[in-house]
Amino acid sequence: MNRGFCIFAQNNETTDYVTQAYALALSIKHFCPGEKVCLITNDNIPQKQQQAFDDIVDIPWEDQSKDSDWKIENRWKIYHASPYDRTIVMDSDMLVLSDIRHWWQELEKRKLFYVSNVKTYRDEQVTSDFYRKTFTANNLPNLYAGIHYFEKSDEAKKFYTLLEIVVNNWELFYTEFANKRYQKWCSIDICSAIVCKILDLETEITQPDSFITFTHMKPHLQKWQQVPEKWTKVIGTYLQNDGTMMLGNFIQKNVLHYVEDEFLTDRIIKKLEQL
Amino acid sequence: MSRGVLLIASNNEQIDYIKQAVFCAKQIKAHLGLDVCLATDNVKYLETAYPFYKSYIDQIVELEYYNTSQIKTYHDGIYAQKKLPWKNHYRVKCYNLTPYEETIVMDTDFIVNNDVLLNCFDYNEDFLIYKSYKDLNPNRVEHSFEKVSDRSIDMVWATVFYFKKSKLSEFYFDLVNHIYDNWSYYRLIYQIPNVNFRNDYAFSIAIHILNGFQRADWPKNLPGNFWTTTDADILYEYKDTSMKFLLENTQDRGQFYAGKILDGNVHVMNKFSLNRIIDEVLVNE
Repeated sequence: MNRGFCIFAQNNETTDYVTQAYALALSIKHFCPGEKVCLITNDNIPQKQQQAFDDIVDIPWEDQSKDSDWKIENRWKIYHASPYDRTIVMDSDMLVLSDIRHWWQELEKRKLFYVSNVKTYRDEQVTSDFYRKTFTANNLPNLYAGIHYFEKSDEAKKFYTLLEIVVNNWELFYTEFANKRYQKWCSIDICSAIVCKILDLETEITQPDSFITFTHMKPHLQKWQQVPEKWTKVIGTYLQNDGTMMLGNFIQKNVLHYVEDEFLTDRIIKKLEQL
Repeated sequence: MSRGVLLIASNNEQIDYIKQAVFCAKQIKAHLGLDVCLATDNVKYLETAYPFYKSYIDQIVELEYYNTSQIKTYHDGIYAQKKLPWKNHYRVKCYNLTPYEETIVMDTDFIVNNDVLLNCFDYNEDFLIYKSYKDLNPNRVEHSFEKVSDRSIDMVWATVFYFKKSKLSEFYFDLVNHIYDNWSYYRLIYQIPNVNFRNDYAFSIAIHILNGFQRADWPKNLPGNFWTTTDADILYEYKDTSMKFLLENTQDRGQFYAGKILDGNVHVMNKFSLNRIIDEVLVNE
């Protein structure tokens, strides 16, 4: 069975997700040599950036997110678009900062897997539900679609088929399953959690103490007393020539979900290109 | 292998750390039964003010006297405070100061009331330190006790620690000394607002560096609970192994809760109230 990483990217007026995906692909290629990376997009990709991807795939069917800024309405299509039998899906605003190829061995045990525990940049377990009040209020599984995995299989297909329905009818499903602390936009995390709840799969598709996780840089998760608007304003980023990255006083391992677009400077991209 | 406790005491104009050291040594003898070495820059004062010290202190290391420009605010409860010189620089030299192969280093304001620290000799570790604490005041949330600074690393407590003479310990204390020598740089890197050198911070930074700039399990915790009070609290009674405190009410400034601890080792940050109590305890010596 072939395997690879899939990154979904649709640029909007403010964010160049394709370039973010390019940076992520560079980091995967450096730390996980031999791994394949696929970009799923309808946007134009500069020639130089194309070389970082093994596969570039159009978003299937019509674009369902034409009128949306966040452009998550197409995310359920990843299952159908992935050229791999086994796929790790990553948000484009992430960087791989150490070798995570051993994840495949762990993921082999499952047909589908979602991260449900995330870390601070200090490698502390995130305990705050500041951004997840809807999950808490509605007792939804605490899934993060930022990193998830599937193997092409009946089980995963069933999940994604229902995900398509939930995404396309999110207001209806929110009313039924997430009506407390109602969120007025479609979130792939909440939609995935609703599917998980409907199919009663929580114990099968996630594991809160799994080492498959990522560092989530939303400011309110960092266990700070003084919470800034943006984390990039208060701690420094240092990327060394060998790809080692420090945020503040801490070397980063595994996967960094940097969240803030301004983090990915031309300087960082250039360093990633030189790895 | 020789074992003992190293105490370090340098008085300032108002706080008699040497008196604390004599009392601390008395507690060590009573509960741990270990040799005690006092490193001090005023041996003459020790001998004249506390001629009975030899009952509790086995060895003296004479330190060179020095003046410090480092000033710290010492509180005596909520309202009283004094700005006084803070001589805490010899702590980083403990690896070379100790006469023992296995040493527990202890602040003189750490009151030993049980024998739990003896277990550290059975751990087969080069270095042990408290990485967590228990505030005697359950109503207080003191974030500054958790981290070196808000966005920085976890804090360990240099109040009490154990080390065995070894390559690793020597390397660790060399690094602590390096941090001390370059404090202005390190406090900037670790976002520490206060200019004063603080051993807790230097020890924490050295651990973080040796752990490869990541959180890790090394070093292990010292055995037992590390109880602490702040200098906003007042120690008002000490009898046998029972300590009674007035603990600040953080919701109602100037008000206190009564608190008592039995058989617990306690870090008493209010030096003034500690010294008042020691005067009572040592009166018949």
